[in-house]
Amino acid sequence: MQIKFEQFAAASMLGSEDSPPRDNGEILFQRPWEGRAFGIAIALSKQGCYEWEDFRRALIASIAEWESAHSKDDPDWDYYLRWLSSLEKLVLAASLVSEQELEDRTRQVLADRSPCKQD
Amino acid sequence: MANSFDREEYSAARVKALESLLIEKGIITAQTVDKVIEFFEKDMGPFNGAKIVARAWVDPQFKARLLADTPAAIADMHFPRGMAGAEGENMRAVANTSQVHNLIVCTMCSCYPWPVLGLPPYWFKDPTFRARAIREPRKVLKEFGLDIPESVEVKVWDTSAQIRWFVLPERPAGTEGWTETQLAAIVTPESMQGAAKVVVPAETKTQGESE
Repeated sequence: MQIKFEQFAAASMLGSEDSPPRDNGEILFQRPWEGRAFGIAIALSKQGCYEWEDFRRALIASIAEWESAHSKDDPDWDYYLRWLSSLEKLVLAASLVSEQELEDRTRQVLADRSPCKQD
Repeated sequence: MANSFDREEYSAARVKALESLLIEKGIITAQTVDKVIEFFEKDMGPFNGAKIVARAWVDPQFKARLLADTPAAIADMHFPRGMAGAEGENMRAVANTSQVHNLIVCTMCSCYPWPVLGLPPYWFKDPTFRARAIREPRKVLKEFGLDIPESVEVKVWDTSAQIRWFVLPERPAGTEGWTETQLAAIVTPESMQGAAKVVVPAETKTQGESE
C-alpha cells in the first residue's frame, strides 16, 4: 500500500516545477548499502572477476524469481535486494569468498554494532 | 514491520562483510568502491545527456548525426572519460516531434543508458511500471502528468543489452537565443526517458511573462 510507483514518481522523480531543485536525477541510492553493493558489483566485473553480462543475467534471473513468487504490486519489492542476491551468487560462484566466510563476517558485523541504537 | 527492519540491518551488514572480505583478500582496495560510485555520480550521469540534448537543439547537423549514429555523435562531445563500459554500449537516440512521443522502458531487467541518464529512478525499476508502460503507455504517461493527444503517436522502446534508448525531447518554446549551457540546465532525466517534457522553469522565464 505504501510503495506505489506513482508515489515515487510524483515525490522523487517527476516533481512539478515547484519541487525542490532536483539534482537532475543523480544519486538514487536510498540506503548507503545500495551504493556499496552497486560499486562492488561494478568493480568486480571491471577487474574481470566475472563478465558484466553474467551479472546482468543473474540480476534478471533474480528479478524473475522474485516476480514469480510475488504479485507485481507487492510493496515488498526491493530492487537492491535483488541486486545484492545476484552479487552474492557471482562472488560465491567465482570463489572470491566462501559462503562460510561471508556468513561469519556478517554475523560479526552485526555483533559489532552498538546495542544502543541511536536515531 | 520488524521483519523489514531486520532485513535492512542484515543487508547492510552483508554488504559490509562482503566488501571487507574482498579488501582483505586484496581483490579490491578500500578506495575501489568509492571510486566507482564517484565515477557514476560525477563523470557519468544525466548531465551528459543534457549536454547532448542541448547540442542537438542548437546544431541541426549534430542532431542528424545523433539520430543516425548515436555513439559517433556522442564521441564528438569529448566527455571527460570514455562513455563505454558497463551498460554504456550501443546507445541510440529517438527524437520526440509534434507527431511522435517516445518512452523508454526495460521489460527484461533494468537496462538503462547510465552514462547519459544517470542511475535509474525507482519507478523505472518497478515491475508494475515496466509491464504497464508496454501495455498502456498513454495511461502511464497521463499519471506522470503528460497528456499525449490522440493525434500524437506514442512509441515505447524496450531497452535491452543490445540497444539502450534515450529520448531527444522537444525544445520548449521560450528558449530562443539560449546558450547550450542554459539549455542543458533545463533538460531533466525524465524528459530523456520520455516520461516528461522539458519545461522552462517559472523563475527563468523572461520578464513580463506572468506566471
